[in-house]
Amino acid sequence: MHIPPGYLSSEVAVGTYVVGVGVCTAAVWKANRDLSEKQIPLLGVMAAFVFAAQMLNFPIPGGTSGHFLGALMLAVLLGPLTACLVMAVVLAVQCLGFADGGLDALGANIFNMGVVAGAGCYYVYVFLKRFLPKTRAGFLASAAVAAWFSIVLSSAFCAVELWLSGKLPLGVTLPLMVGIHSVIGLGEAAVTVGVLTVLMEARPDLVRDRLSTRTAAMVAE
Amino acid sequence: MKHGFLDKYSDLSSPLHSLSATTKVIVFLVLIIVCVTTAPTAYFSFAGYLAFLMVCLAVSRVPVIHVLRRSLVVVPFLAMAALSIPFFSRAAEGRNAITAAHPGLIVFQGIALKSFVSVCSLILLSAITPFPHFLSALRKLGTPRLLISLMSFTYRYLFLMVEEFERMVRARDARCYGGGWLWQTKVVGRMVGTFFVRSYERAERVYHAMTSRGFDGRVPVEDAQPMRLKDHLFVLPSVGFLVGCRIFLAPGWLF
Repeated sequence: MHIPPGYLSSEVAVGTYVVGVGVCTAAVWKANRDLSEKQIPLLGVMAAFVFAAQMLNFPIPGGTSGHFLGALMLAVLLGPLTACLVMAVVLAVQCLGFADGGLDALGANIFNMGVVAGAGCYYVYVFLKRFLPKTRAGFLASAAVAAWFSIVLSSAFCAVELWLSGKLPLGVTLPLMVGIHSVIGLGEAAVTVGVLTVLMEARPDLVRDRLSTRTAAMVAE
Repeated sequence: MKHGFLDKYSDLSSPLHSLSATTKVIVFLVLIIVCVTTAPTAYFSFAGYLAFLMVCLAVSRVPVIHVLRRSLVVVPFLAMAALSIPFFSRAAEGRNAITAAHPGLIVFQGIALKSFVSVCSLILLSAITPFPHFLSALRKLGTPRLLISLMSFTYRYLFLMVEEFERMVRARDARCYGGGWLWQTKVVGRMVGTFFVRSYERAERVYHAMTSRGFDGRVPVEDAQPMRLKDHLFVLPSVGFLVGCRIFLAPGWLF
């Protein structure tokens, strides 16, 4: 889903850069204010974690494969803005070090995979969590559905950006991207649930910090 | 350890490697910007950019095959662009009516040229600049300190984490990983979960080790090598050449 260089028109590239950099600036500002010094190594290692976990491909029926994105998982565990910041760091290192995703499209990639998939879908998760029963299953289900949405929505935004740039017609890319990614999204949801399940057993303190006390009590049971 | 998969070849010695990182970032940034704003049919401009890249590549002594192999990352998106060629209607793009070429083809060839040139220039840039120098150049060009600290941590731990993850994959495969798709996903989920716990605990250990050595929240970043005479001698002609290619060999400022 990393948009390579040369695909976006100047207007779309600049527009997404403005949004992406704006959100990251807010995240940096908030981090400078709120984060303790302990968080700096933590966030750096989290970025390296996401980077390494993205190298893992899971097979998709039909011959292709998709990889884990991790934006929603980070948002659930670290909060939406911090998740954006970590995703931006991952994408910047991937772009500058691996040429994975264009430099002109870095803003768009941060927008799709950080702002939409991380921060935006965090609110899908919050919304679902409010209406689902406050149990372990309700918590996991809302994270799973939001994780699916994080993949599908960011691929849809990707298709729309390419269309706005006048490069690829919406009629081809939107069904293609959303079709493939609605399957990849299932993998993302499963992996997210897996991570949260393991965390609730091994390090319940990490999950509990981010939840309201009532949900946390249910999850801890 | 397999160090250096990120900025492989950045430890070679060549005239290009010895330039200041700031110089290289500026020149390649200009190259990418002029390249992506060039009209798709300005073949002479693209020839100029490619010539510039090839000269840099030759001077830097980075193997051509390395750049070509890494440039394959653009293929999946290019395939999607190729699929959509027939869907462009001839009437919609009136300004291409004179050339008689299919508008979809022109869009496709523009994408292909731009993404190839920009991807190759990024690959070359990372092959001639060690990542820490790169970060100090970015710091000098105004990136917030927090982002630089995070990126330097990411770079520091990336190798370790990738190795750790590969170790887990090997352990999984040794225990007869296979079976149904659902079962595999479950195993992968648990594995990433375990990996998360390990990473988190590593971060905690790292923090304790750093605190005991006097960490006060600031990650030291090496000062960027200052731009000297030879840097200016490289920047001015290069930027002049690239911008010249963009202005004199291509029609229109924006396409």
